[in-house]
Amino acid sequence: MSIIKKLALVVVSLSLVAVSSVSSAKPFSPKKPVELIIPAGQGGGADEIARLVQGVIEKNDYASKPVIPINKSGGSGGEAMTYVKKKAGDEHTLIITLNNVLTTPVNQPELGIDFFNDFTPLARLITDTFLVWIATEGKNTAGVETFDDFIDLAKGNGLVMGGTGSMSEDELLLGMMRGQFGFDAKYVPYSGGGAVAKGLVGGESDFTLNNPSEQMGFYQSGDSKALVMMTPERNPAFPEVPSSYELGYPDLEYYMMRAFMAPAGIDAEVEKYYTGLLHTVYHDDEFQTFNIDDGKLMSWLEGYGLKDFLAIEYEKHGEIIKNFN
Amino acid sequence: METIGFLLDGIFTSLQWFNLALLIFGCLIGLFVGAMPGLGSVNGVAILIPITFIIPPTAAIIFLAAVYYGAMYGGAISSVMLGIPGASTAVATVFDGRPLAVKGEAMTALTAAAVGSFVGGTVSVILFTLFAPPLAEVALRFNAPETFALMVMAFATFVGLGGDDVPKTIFSILIGLALSTIGLDLITGKPRLIFFNIPGFLHGINFLVLAIGIYGIGEMLWTLEETKGKVQMSKLSVNMKEVGRAFGALKKTIMAMNIGSFLGFFVGILPAAGATPASLMSYGITKQLSKNSKEFGSGVPAGVVAPECANNSASTGSMLPMLTLGIPGSPTTAILLGGMILWGLTPGPLLFTQEPEFVWGLIGSLYIANFFTLVLNIALIPAFLMVLRIPFAILAPVIFVLCVTGGYAPTQSLHDVWLMLLFGFAGYILRKLDYPVAPAVLSIVLGPLAEKALRQSLILSDGSMGIFFDMSEKPIAAVIMYIAIVLLIMPAFGPLYRRLFKKKQPA
Amino acid sequence: MSITNKITVKRAEIAVAVILALCSIALMIKSAENRITWNAEENMGAGFLPFYLSLGMLICTILTIIKFVLKRSPQSKDDTPFIDAVAFKFIAVTIISLVVLVLAIGYLGIYFSLIFFLAFYLRYFSEKSVAFITIFAITTPILTFLFFEWMLKIPLPQGISEPLFYPVYDFMYGGFSFAVKMIFIILTVVLPTALVFLTTRFIK
Repeated sequence: MSIIKKLALVVVSLSLVAVSSVSSAKPFSPKKPVELIIPAGQGGGADEIARLVQGVIEKNDYASKPVIPINKSGGSGGEAMTYVKKKAGDEHTLIITLNNVLTTPVNQPELGIDFFNDFTPLARLITDTFLVWIATEGKNTAGVETFDDFIDLAKGNGLVMGGTGSMSEDELLLGMMRGQFGFDAKYVPYSGGGAVAKGLVGGESDFTLNNPSEQMGFYQSGDSKALVMMTPERNPAFPEVPSSYELGYPDLEYYMMRAFMAPAGIDAEVEKYYTGLLHTVYHDDEFQTFNIDDGKLMSWLEGYGLKDFLAIEYEKHGEIIKNFN
Repeated sequence: METIGFLLDGIFTSLQWFNLALLIFGCLIGLFVGAMPGLGSVNGVAILIPITFIIPPTAAIIFLAAVYYGAMYGGAISSVMLGIPGASTAVATVFDGRPLAVKGEAMTALTAAAVGSFVGGTVSVILFTLFAPPLAEVALRFNAPETFALMVMAFATFVGLGGDDVPKTIFSILIGLALSTIGLDLITGKPRLIFFNIPGFLHGINFLVLAIGIYGIGEMLWTLEETKGKVQMSKLSVNMKEVGRAFGALKKTIMAMNIGSFLGFFVGILPAAGATPASLMSYGITKQLSKNSKEFGSGVPAGVVAPECANNSASTGSMLPMLTLGIPGSPTTAILLGGMILWGLTPGPLLFTQEPEFVWGLIGSLYIANFFTLVLNIALIPAFLMVLRIPFAILAPVIFVLCVTGGYAPTQSLHDVWLMLLFGFAGYILRKLDYPVAPAVLSIVLGPLAEKALRQSLILSDGSMGIFFDMSEKPIAAVIMYIAIVLLIMPAFGPLYRRLFKKKQPA
Repeated sequence: MSITNKITVKRAEIAVAVILALCSIALMIKSAENRITWNAEENMGAGFLPFYLSLGMLICTILTIIKFVLKRSPQSKDDTPFIDAVAFKFIAVTIISLVVLVLAIGYLGIYFSLIFFLAFYLRYFSEKSVAFITIFAITTPILTFLFFEWMLKIPLPQGISEPLFYPVYDFMYGGFSFAVKMIFIILTVVLPTALVFLTTRFIK
C-alpha cells in the first residue's frame, strides 16, 4: 500500500511543476525534442537533408530543443504519413517530404490519407533534379554520346533501367518518357540511390534516372556520364550536361521536392515558429554551400505559394500515375 | 608502400591524446549500446552525426569507428549473458554462447568472443590494406544473381541446424521466410500481408522483433517454468585459474578463427551482404567442418569464435563497398555515409586516391578501436559476470524492460512491441513442442535479402532460373550456386561419408 | 483435477498443429490478394513467394498431424501435463502483467507504467522489502529515461504523462552548464542507484 501512496505523491508533485511551467509560456517554442519523420530509410536523399537540418540547428542553437530524425520507411512513405496523420494537433512532429507523399495517397487508397487535410505544409527548401545517366563503358550503350543517340538506341532495344523502387519517382519518370519518346525499358528496382548507381556502373543496368548526389562519385571518376538534366537551365555543378530545354524537350522537366510539413490542426503560432526555424536553416551558409555543391536547387517557398505548388504537383502526379497504369 | 604509410599515419593520429580519449569513450558507448537488446551501433552513430559538426572530421571518424567496433563486441555480450542477440550480427553467437553461460562457463564464452573479434578485426585490416583496390572491382561485379547465389549458400550451410523432427524444422524455416515477406513489395510496390490494414505491418517485421520476442520473452518464460522463479544463479569465481582456463579453451578454435576471419572479410566486401550473412555462414561452415560438429549448439567455444570473428572481419570489409561504391551495407554504414557526404567527401572510386588520409585514417582508427575494445572487454568481464549474480526475480523484470524498450526503439512503434510479445509467447509454446526456433530467426534475417536478389535477377532474365547456372555469362553466380547445391546435398551423404571415414580410424 | 492436468502434451501437440495449419491457410488466402502466378508472360507476382511458402507451411503441419495420428512423434504418445500448475500460474501472471504493461504504455506512457509494472512484479515474485522495491521501481525508469532520451535521443512513448516531462526537457536543453547537469544526474540517479545496491546488502 505504502508504495502506491509514495508513487501518488511523486506523480502529484511532478504534475504541479509541469502545470505551472506550461501555463507561463506564451510565444510558442518547442517544449520537448521535435520528431522529424523521414518517410524513407537511412542513407537516402531525404535522410541526408533531414540529418543536415538537424546538424545545422544543433550546431547553431537555432532551436531550444533538438530535432530528432526518425526513419519510418515502410510502405513508400505510407507508414510515415499514417503516423503523422494520427499525430494531428501535435506540436512536436515534422515530416520531410519526398515526392512519395504525392503518390502514395493515390496508390494506396486503403491508408485513407487525405493529402490536403492531413498535413500543414510549412516550407519547401530545396528541389532536387534528375538526370539521365549511362555508364561510360556500358556494354549496350556503346557509342551513345547525346540524349538523341540514346532515344534512338532505346527505341529499338529493350534496355534495362535501374531504379529506386516500384512506383517511385524514377519509375513514374520512365512512364513519362515512354509517353513522350515511345521507348520502353525493363525496370529493375533496387533499394536505394547508391545501389542503383552501382548497378549501372557494375553493368547490370543500361541507364538510370538518378539524382546528382547519388551518381556524384562515379561521375567524378568518369565511370558514368549524364546525357540530360531535366531542368530549363544548365546546373553549375554539371556544366557540360545540357538541359532538356536546350535539347528541345521542354516537357521533360521533373523535380524532387524537399519540403517540410507538420500534422494538421496545429496553431498558426506553431506553424509560424517552424516556418521561421526552417527559414533560418535555409539561410545558413553551411546549408547553402552543401546543397549548391551537390547540384541541388535552393528554392524557398512558403504560405500560399507553397499550397498552390503542392496542389499543382499533386494533380500532375495523379495524371502521371493514371497514364502509367 | 604508400598505403601502409597512410595507414600508419591513421594509426598514429588516433593515438594522440584527445583522439585516444574520444576513442576509449566511443568504445565504451559502443559496448554499452551494443549490449542493449534492440539497440546497436546505428543508435550510437546517429547521435554522433550532429556532434561531428562541432569536432573536427578526423576526431569524428575516430569516434565513429570506436562506437561501430565497440557495438560489434557489445552485441556478443547480450547474446552470451542474456541470451538475446543484441544485433542481427550476433544471432549466431547465441547458439553456443548462451549454452556456455548456462553451463557456468560465461567467462570462456566472453573471452572467446573478445579474442575472436580481435583476431577477425586484425586479419581484415591486413587484408583490407593489401587488397582493397583490386577487390573493389570484384564488389562492383557482384550483382543480383551473385547475391542470390550467396544467400542460397548461406542457407545451405545451415541445413544441419534444425532439430530431429524434419517437418517441424522445415515449418520453422518457412514461417521465417513467410514473415519476412510482410510489408511493401520492393518489386511491384504493392503492400503484402497487411493484416487488418494495420499500418504497423507496412514496415515489415524487423528481425529484432522476432529475435527479442523468442530469445528474450520466450527464454524468460522457459526459465520461469523450469525454475518456478526460485532460481539462484550459479556461483562464479573470477580468478587467475579461470582466466587461464578460458584462454586455454581457445587453442581448439584456431580453425574457427581462420574460417571466420577470411570468410567474414570476403563476404563483408560484397555490397548489400554485410556482417550478418558472414557470421551465419562462418558458424555453419565451421560446424560442418568440425570434428565434433555434434557438440555445436550445446556450448563449444569454437561456436562463439566463428561468428564473432566473422562479424568483426566483415564489418571492416563492408567499409569497402561503402567507400568505393557508396553502398551502405547496414543502417550504421548508411548514417556513416550520410556523415561523409556532410563532411564534403564523395564516396566513389576516386576516394582512395583523392582522400587517402580519410580512408586510411578510418581503417587505422578501426584497428586501434579493435585493440582498445579487446582490452576494455577483457577488463570488464568481471563486471559483465555480475549480471549472472543478480537474483532471477530481479533480473527477469529488468530483462522484460529491456525487451520492451528494445522492441520499441528501432522502429518507434508500439505495434512492434505487441508483435514481440506475441512471438515470445508463441515461440515459447512451439519450443515446448520441439519446434526448433533458430531456423525461423535465420530465415527472417536472410529472407528479405534473398527475395530481393532473386526477383531482381528474374526481371533481368525474363523469369528464367537459368541466370543462376550460366557459366559463360555469370560465372561467379554459377560457381557459388553449384557449391551451395553441393553443400545442400552433402548432409544426405553425411552418414555414408562418416561411415567410410570412421573405418580408416583405428578402433 | 485442475485444468493444467487436462492439457497433456499430446493434446497440446495436436491443437497447436491444427492452429498452425489454420494460420497457414489464412496466410495463403491473404497472399492471394496479390498475383501469385509465375509464368513465361508475367514474371513472379508479389504474392507468389508468400503463397507457396505458406503452402509449404501447411504441408509441414499436415505431416505433423499425420505423424501424430500414426503415433510416430514422441509428443503423440506423451500423456504428461503440458505445463504443471505452479509454473502455469507464474507464466500466466507474467504474460498478463506484460500485456497490461504494454497497454499502459500506450496510455500512461512508458516511464510511469514501468514503475507500476516493476513494483507489482517484484512484489509478486521476489521477497524483497518494500523499501527496496520502491527505490528499484523508481530508479529503473529514471535510468531508462536518461539512457534513451538524453544519451541516445530516442524518444520513448509518454502518453498522457508527456506534459510532466516538459520541465525536464527544459532543464536538459536549457542553458545549464555540463557540470550543473552532471551534479543533477548524480543526485537523481547515482545516489538512488547506490542506495539500491546498499539496500540489497542490508535490506532483504
